[in-house]
Amino acid sequence: MEYLVTREEIEKVAKLMRIELDDHTVHIDRVQKMIDYFDILDKAGIESTEFDVHEKSINELREDKHIPYDDVLVKKLKNFKGNYIRAPKMV
Amino acid sequence: MTKIGLEIHCQLTNLNSKLFCSCKADYRGFEPNTNICPICIGLPGSLPRLNKKALEKATLIAMALNCNTPEKLAFFRKNYFYPDLPKNFQITQLNVYGEYSIGHNGKVLVDDKEIRIRRIQLEEDPGRLIYEGTSEKTQITLVDYNRAGTPLVEIVTEPDFENERQVRLFLNILSDLLENLDVSNPSLEGAMRADGNISIKGGNKVEIKNVNSFHDLEKALRFEITRQESLVSRNIPIEQETRHWDDRRKITVSARSKEGEEDYRYFLEGDIPWILIDSQTLAKLKNDVPESISSKKERYISKYNIPEQVAEVLSSDKFYSDMFEQAHDESNAKDVANLITTDLMGLVDTKEKRDKSKLTPKHLVELVYAIESNKITRTSAKNALIEIIKTGKPLSEIITKLDLGHLSNESELAKIIEEIISQEKKAVEEAKINPQAVNYLVGKVMQKTKGKADPSLTLNIIKKKLSS
Amino acid sequence: MNLGISALKYVEEIKNGSFTVEEFISNTIEQIKKHDGKLHAYLSIIEKTIEQAKNLDRKIRNKEKIGTCYGMPVSIKDNICVKGAKTTCASKMLENFVAPYDATVVSKLKSEDAILLGKVNLDEFAMGMTTEFSAFGPTRNPWNVDYVPGGSSGGSAVSVRAYECIASLGSDTGGSVRNPASFCSVVGFKPTYGLISRYGLISYANSIEQIGPITRTVEDAAFLLNIISGIDPNDDTTIDNKNEDYLLNIDAGVEGKKIGIIKEMVSQGTDKAVVSATNDSVKKFENLGATIEEISLDMVDYSVASYYTITSTEAGSNLARYDNLRYGFDFPLEGYEFNSYISKARKNFGPEVTRRLIVGGFVPSAGYAGKYFLKALKVKKKLTDEINEAFKKVDFLIAPTVPILPFKIGEKIDDPVALFLIDFNTVTANLTGKPAISVPFAISNNLPIGIQLIADSMQDKSLLQAGYALQQTVKLPEVPI
Repeated sequence: MEYLVTREEIEKVAKLMRIELDDHTVHIDRVQKMIDYFDILDKAGIESTEFDVHEKSINELREDKHIPYDDVLVKKLKNFKGNYIRAPKMV
Repeated sequence: MTKIGLEIHCQLTNLNSKLFCSCKADYRGFEPNTNICPICIGLPGSLPRLNKKALEKATLIAMALNCNTPEKLAFFRKNYFYPDLPKNFQITQLNVYGEYSIGHNGKVLVDDKEIRIRRIQLEEDPGRLIYEGTSEKTQITLVDYNRAGTPLVEIVTEPDFENERQVRLFLNILSDLLENLDVSNPSLEGAMRADGNISIKGGNKVEIKNVNSFHDLEKALRFEITRQESLVSRNIPIEQETRHWDDRRKITVSARSKEGEEDYRYFLEGDIPWILIDSQTLAKLKNDVPESISSKKERYISKYNIPEQVAEVLSSDKFYSDMFEQAHDESNAKDVANLITTDLMGLVDTKEKRDKSKLTPKHLVELVYAIESNKITRTSAKNALIEIIKTGKPLSEIITKLDLGHLSNESELAKIIEEIISQEKKAVEEAKINPQAVNYLVGKVMQKTKGKADPSLTLNIIKKKLSS
Repeated sequence: MNLGISALKYVEEIKNGSFTVEEFISNTIEQIKKHDGKLHAYLSIIEKTIEQAKNLDRKIRNKEKIGTCYGMPVSIKDNICVKGAKTTCASKMLENFVAPYDATVVSKLKSEDAILLGKVNLDEFAMGMTTEFSAFGPTRNPWNVDYVPGGSSGGSAVSVRAYECIASLGSDTGGSVRNPASFCSVVGFKPTYGLISRYGLISYANSIEQIGPITRTVEDAAFLLNIISGIDPNDDTTIDNKNEDYLLNIDAGVEGKKIGIIKEMVSQGTDKAVVSATNDSVKKFENLGATIEEISLDMVDYSVASYYTITSTEAGSNLARYDNLRYGFDFPLEGYEFNSYISKARKNFGPEVTRRLIVGGFVPSAGYAGKYFLKALKVKKKLTDEINEAFKKVDFLIAPTVPILPFKIGEKIDDPVALFLIDFNTVTANLTGKPAISVPFAISNNLPIGIQLIADSMQDKSLLQAGYALQQTVKLPEVPI
């Protein structure tokens, strides 16, 4: 077990991912199990530094045209006041 | 030793569409949330579609700033939560994996100082937040996504600026470049945002954020330098921090530290493939890089023998240099340049005046020719210009309408001069004694002929008459 | 009426006038009413399908031009957008989300006059291999309703197997089309990455997932592939397949082809019955004129770790948009500030999704990125290199789709690593972008076993030919419903 997952870290990550957790201990345990499993990657013997890439030429990209969207999208979303989307107050 | 670095965001408002979708790039004037589509709203299942022209224009900017442009470009995700960010991540080119953005390691010469450009990248603008009520009592936040997805070019410099003047000159070069490339209108509100960082005398670096125009940036920098110098003089150490520019109070204020450092978890944007810009396309783009101000200036001086001061004015303003480029030829270049930088300048020195002006390069050509061929005196040129700007009518009409012709018929002129001499007996006597006083008589003749009289011919005739 | 016919047979019968579209659709809807209460494949039924059927029948009578699907009933996994229909991803987070646009694959099916019957169940946000993680209850295996149907496209596989539709579109990120196909004894096809547009597929791990057809025969998969594949301007990751006809010459056979058994995928941990079935399938291929050899891809042993590292990272980002501000479910904003509101709203994710999001926040974060995420990317690259090397020696790779037999609902739900390993044989094709197919091959103790074939990139056509050849060597029992 190379790396020990702490409650503090779970709290930090939950905050980072904006998920309120009821029970941190459940996650400490599970994340620890998964991280331990991921440690197997250390044995993989990978030297190369390149990643796989999908490539496309600049000439195949979208032309710069203004095409208005043909639907009144905002009416299909929620929380709208007038035409605005509502968000909670910012601190 | 003052060190200033800049981080500038320019909206590519002159593009037709946003960076990743076909909504309009310039969102100004739309009702809230009417310039949106599934992509820029980040609806589930939507995918970004990269705008070819945005990439081309950004590459041109990078080239114009002498950057290295990589063979392969990539986009990355910067993950954080904010209501103006529909996907709760921003597609950008900043990353921790390598140099894959549109330009790196460039440089610009500003007043003999080399300013290094660290990085140029493309990214998308978030939407806009509006708060109901004052900030303190805000209960709700309103979000308008019209701006979400607008293409931004971010330019980051090394902290090579030594003073605000260099910053101002750099921003001028940048504005000019963006206008020349037809990507952006720097005068649009919010089209340019700049953050700066300053350290003085080798002290801690302070970041200044929330500056919404180039104009404000200078003010903010000036304020911050003064603030820091004042602290130093009282032996108070300068904290390394982020400060916000408060535009209302015209000061920088310490930004409340955000809850912990945000971890952006940068990784490759899997919905956008790596983009290859082949050498052919790059060469074609290189051709489109507009001439820099300094290069124009040099060319005006060396090719047309235009005096340095005149060349300086002509080259540093796109309006004038465009006018010049279209109006001049080998023979009249110097005169056209002269006309633009003397008589014309005061008449079209603001955007409003330029927008209203009906002057065309053809008018300038006609005017210079008319002066050359004695159809109109140099002094009348200004009046002619005023009328041209107002009405756009051809020069011949205007000369007739305002009676601006050139009176160079000797006998006609002699008659008028006789009249003046007989009227101004006292001045004539003075002139006989004091040669300088002749100018008064010349002036009277000009008055009488509404400026049409050929000045040198008038002077000669008067002198002759006086001596006879 | 025999609802168990293939898509091709259906089209033939409609053309012959053996029955009308309306008759077939009505009967299918009856079948759903009869069995889906127990099986729970469907999450929502699309309205007015009988009207659509009547309309198509009228066109057929008037000899008007009609699309190649002739009104065949198709189900759509509920993470694929159908305009005007609820698209929930089997999650409470999207309980009320009605898609305002059609996915490209949906537009294509509609323009060929397929009739979309409804949206089918999945593991929440496609994260899972058993469909037990749906927020709206599990789907059950029609071979034995106490058993899992596989996942995450469990609803797709079950709706096809139980004759509740002729074909389905699922999505495959780590085996999610092939795995349930194997567990339910239907065909599941995952194309080369980029062959089918993902526009309208709600992203989980966008760098490796693909939509794939689930059908009762290999020819049907080819038929659907003809309709839904191809370069799409709405998806910059799609590639040009030059309008390849996947159905043409599907019976070309495998004479002279070389097939490699992936050693690491038939190792310890593989069920005896599955090993036996795999050996049988290999023999069948030999009888058809193919030659077999053993291939070792040693990166396979690290593929699951690499897969979960990469997908949890991408999921963490792809699911960030679900903050309930623009769409989602009912939860008033009053009294909350931004961060506390969205954190509370996001409690609505189910436990498996939450677990993966936590891992997905952990793994790429600043301190650990080098340790896990980058290593995972390197394994992905090395695995791709290894499989490319293998395809220089062989035409296809073969392995069991799932190392184990279907198991009881609830049996493995608490052991995350055991669950991971169900994907052991399937994630390789996703990580490397290669096309793969699961062909139903055997039934053991009334539980299905599928055999997986993998081909090189853009070899989807020859892969379908190999799958067809294998399919023709077996006659499997009917599903007991």
